[in-house]
Amino acid sequence: MKPASLLRWYPRAWRERYGGELAALIQDDLDEGRPAWRLRLSVIGGGLRERGRQTRHATAASLTSPAWQNRWGTIVLAGLICGFLAGDLTSPLSAAPRGWQGVALDAVLAAVAVTGAVVLADGLLALPALVKFLRAGGGPKIRRRAGWAAAATVAAGGGLAGLVLVSGSHPPAQLNASWAYWAGVLVTGLAMAAAIGLWAAAATATARHLTLTPRVRAAQLVLGAVIPTAVTTMLITLALWWSATQDSLTMLVLAAANLVAVSAGTPGKIRRAVRRGRRLRSAASGR
Amino acid sequence: MSPSGLRRPNDPPLLILVSLADGPKHGHALAKDIEDFAGVRLGPGALYGAITRLAERGLIEPFGSEDRRRPYRITPPGSAALAAALADMRRVTRAGLARLGLDPA
Repeated sequence: MKPASLLRWYPRAWRERYGGELAALIQDDLDEGRPAWRLRLSVIGGGLRERGRQTRHATAASLTSPAWQNRWGTIVLAGLICGFLAGDLTSPLSAAPRGWQGVALDAVLAAVAVTGAVVLADGLLALPALVKFLRAGGGPKIRRRAGWAAAATVAAGGGLAGLVLVSGSHPPAQLNASWAYWAGVLVTGLAMAAAIGLWAAAATATARHLTLTPRVRAAQLVLGAVIPTAVTTMLITLALWWSATQDSLTMLVLAAANLVAVSAGTPGKIRRAVRRGRRLRSAASGR
Repeated sequence: MSPSGLRRPNDPPLLILVSLADGPKHGHALAKDIEDFAGVRLGPGALYGAITRLAERGLIEPFGSEDRRRPYRITPPGSAALAAALADMRRVTRAGLARLGLDPA
C-alpha cells in the first residue's frame, strides 16, 4: 500500500497542508506492522469526513455571503420556471403566435438574447486572463467545479430534451394527469437551477485565480450589476408570456411586482458599480 | 458541547491536548502516547481529523519541522480549554465517586 495514493481521499487544499505529515504517519504505522486494511479504512473515513466538512463550509459560505443571498432565489426560480415552461414553449414556437401572445413571446426571446449577450460579454472580457491562467497550468484548480457544472448541464439538457419530446407526443390533458410528467418537470427544473448555480459558482471560483486589468475589472463590475437585472427581466417576460398564454392573473401580478422592484433597484446598483469602477481605475493609474 | 468543543474523556481532540500538555509531539508520537496513557489507538484518519480541528481553532500549532514529521504544541488557549474541560470532568468524577460512597470528598 502506498500512503500517497490514499491521500486522494482528502480534498486538495487539505492535502497541500497536511498530506506530507499524514503520509509519514501512515508509513510509520505500516513499518510497525499495523494491518494495512485498518489504516486504509481510517484514512478513507477521515478523507470523506474532511470532504463532507469542506463541502458544508463551502455551501454555508455560498448561501450566507451577501453577494449570493440575492442570487440564489433568482437562480432556483429561473431553473424551475425554465423546467415548467419547457413543454409549453414548444407550441407557440411552432404555431404562429398572434396578438399579446406573440408580443410576449418576442419579449421572452429578446430578454433571453440580451441576457445571453451580457453573460457572454462578461465571460469574453475575462477570456484573455483565463487563457493565460490555463496556459500556466491552472486547469486542475478549476477542473472539478467545471466538471460538476458540466455534469449538471448534461442532466438538465437531457431532462429538457425528454420533456420537449414527451410534450410533443402526448395531448396536454394526458400530460396534466401524469404524475411522472410533473415529477420530470420538477426534477428538470431543479437540475437547471443546479446547473446555473454550479456554473456561477465555478465562474466565481475561477475569477479568484485570474489577474484582471483595472479596465476589465471596472467593466465587469458594471456587467455584474446588470446580469441579475437581465436574469430577472427574463423571468418577468416569461411570467408575462405565461400570463398571456394561460390567462393567468397571478403571473401578471407577479411580473408587475418584479418589474417595479427591478425598476426601483437597478439604476442605483449600476451607478454604484460605475463609481466603484472609476475609483478602481483611478487607484490603478495613481491619480 | 462545551465552549472549547471538548466533550468526552475519549474524544480525540481532548486526548491530543492531554498528550501535548507535556511537550510538542508529531503524529506518530502522539498516537503512541495516547495509546499508552488512555488505551485508545487513534487511526491516522481520526488523529489528523482532530489535529485539523484543533489547529483551526488555534488550540494547537505546528512547532518547527522535523522532515515530514511535523511536531505540534499546545497553545495558551489550548491549555486553557484543556484545563476547563478537565475541571468539568473532575467535578463529574467527584460527584459520581461521592454518590457511590467511594470518595467522601
